[in-house]
Amino acid sequence: MLLATLFESGVKIEHYMVLATALFVIGVFGVLYRKNAIILLMCIELMLNAVNLLLVAFSTYFGQADGQLFVFFIMVVAAAEATVGLSILVLLYRNTRSTDIRLFNKLKN
Amino acid sequence: MDALLIVFASGLISLFAAFAKKPWLVVGSAMAGLLAAIIVIIGQLQTGKAFFDFLKYEGLAFDQVALLFSLAICVLTLLIVGIGYERFKENPVHTGEYIGLLLFSATGAMIMTAYTDMFMFFLGLEILSIPIYVMAGSNKADVRSSEASLKYFLTGSFATGVFLFGLAWVYGATGTFKLQEIQLKIQEMDTLSPILMIGVLLIMASFIFKVGAAPFHFWSPDVYDGAPPAVTGFMASVVKIAAFFAFLKMFAFCFGRGELYDFWKGALVVMIVITLFVGNLSALRQVKFKRLLAYSSITHVGYTLLLFVSQGDVAGTLWFYMFSYGFSIVGIIAVAIAVNDSEDRIEGLRGLGKRNPFLAIVGIVALLSLAGIPPTSGFFAKYILFSSAWENASWLVIIALINSGISIYYYLKVLVTIASPAEQEQEKIKLSPLTIAVLTIALVGMLGFSFILPFLY
Repeated sequence: MLLATLFESGVKIEHYMVLATALFVIGVFGVLYRKNAIILLMCIELMLNAVNLLLVAFSTYFGQADGQLFVFFIMVVAAAEATVGLSILVLLYRNTRSTDIRLFNKLKN
Repeated sequence: MDALLIVFASGLISLFAAFAKKPWLVVGSAMAGLLAAIIVIIGQLQTGKAFFDFLKYEGLAFDQVALLFSLAICVLTLLIVGIGYERFKENPVHTGEYIGLLLFSATGAMIMTAYTDMFMFFLGLEILSIPIYVMAGSNKADVRSSEASLKYFLTGSFATGVFLFGLAWVYGATGTFKLQEIQLKIQEMDTLSPILMIGVLLIMASFIFKVGAAPFHFWSPDVYDGAPPAVTGFMASVVKIAAFFAFLKMFAFCFGRGELYDFWKGALVVMIVITLFVGNLSALRQVKFKRLLAYSSITHVGYTLLLFVSQGDVAGTLWFYMFSYGFSIVGIIAVAIAVNDSEDRIEGLRGLGKRNPFLAIVGIVALLSLAGIPPTSGFFAKYILFSSAWENASWLVIIALINSGISIYYYLKVLVTIASPAEQEQEKIKLSPLTIAVLTIALVGMLGFSFILPFLY
């Protein structure tokens, strides 16, 4: 019911742009201010999903498939990145017993 | 395309060769593959014909310039495979994975030189980056290595996210992912849409992140310091070549229209100035060798960014600059690996002339080349770079020259340390034939380039 009213009132491309930007900015602030490495990973995923949303919206707006095709590429790469990121985190967790990024400071002189 | 396939195939072969538990087999197959790729590229440069002519994809165009950059990537990767080998003689576990990832990463770099649409650019960027996240942490026993890996991963994937967001806006403004069509669409616009400008700025920010220029340089000293030395060499040479060329292609070709150029040029000029000063002034007070190299590499990124505001044969200048810089950095890293100082201090190089004269000579030439002192190729590269930027941005070149002067101080400090005698007698360093070969090639590259230069220009 709610969805039907939304579509009838006409969701414009601008709405998607605002929503995607909001999601992206939330992701960026999460990366900058959160201290847990797993949450950082989730925030990066959120950024990528904002990009996906924007690409699909533009793609539908232009009436072509390119943008949606790109979304598949992003999904595949995001999965690969998450795999690598989590395994790096496991490696570090063995040493520090924590995922707090403030503890990873052995490289500062 | 041939060279790309060969490098990829030899990456696969070295992964499977690891089952034989003989490191030399893995390294040998990787080197054979890279040598074959180099020969194929040179052949293609001369005849202009690809071997597998039927294998074509419109997203990749291996033209003359792309082939030259692929050649540089293959040569430097070959040298880095060579210097990485020492590590596996004592500890042969994971040789296959390491060498395989190195070659896959080089494949990504080659894709980035030849892309003609954003699909390929993005895939190339990720194929280049993801193996490096793993390789940076390949020294599993060392916490510092894992930490470098995590830091590189977080900043790298953050930069990827920023790039993609920028790309989505550019797509929204132009409606296509092909470089040619993006350029056409931008030319046709009456006024530049704000959407496009946001996109270009975001892409530029991600580029600055990837190459490690200020103000987004904070990750690079940590990562260069923590990663295994051979991987540091790879990050400083091959990754920078690929990233610089790919973004230069994008910015000069797609976003080169007058008003748009003025728009991003303003931001870039500020960043060049900050990068030069931050890199140099931080390098002055480093006591660790790899950290010094990291800051010096930030400065070199600053010089190279001058290309974005210069004119003429920009790609050729970039090729020459990055190739000669790559030789110098590989040479100096090879020296650092051979000296094998566990704490990686600059002081550890003291008395190197006594311990092994050949190492000392290569180290000194590499430092001179990094500082840009004739007759090394670093001098000629810097000369060409600065003279091509002089016309458009002479005041920037003057700032760069001042910074060149500052940088000579810390390079000479290391050089003097190498040349001066140690307090107590130290044991001699024995070099394996492979290391000698790599050092010789790097030496020939650093000196020989200055002799072939008159024929190139």
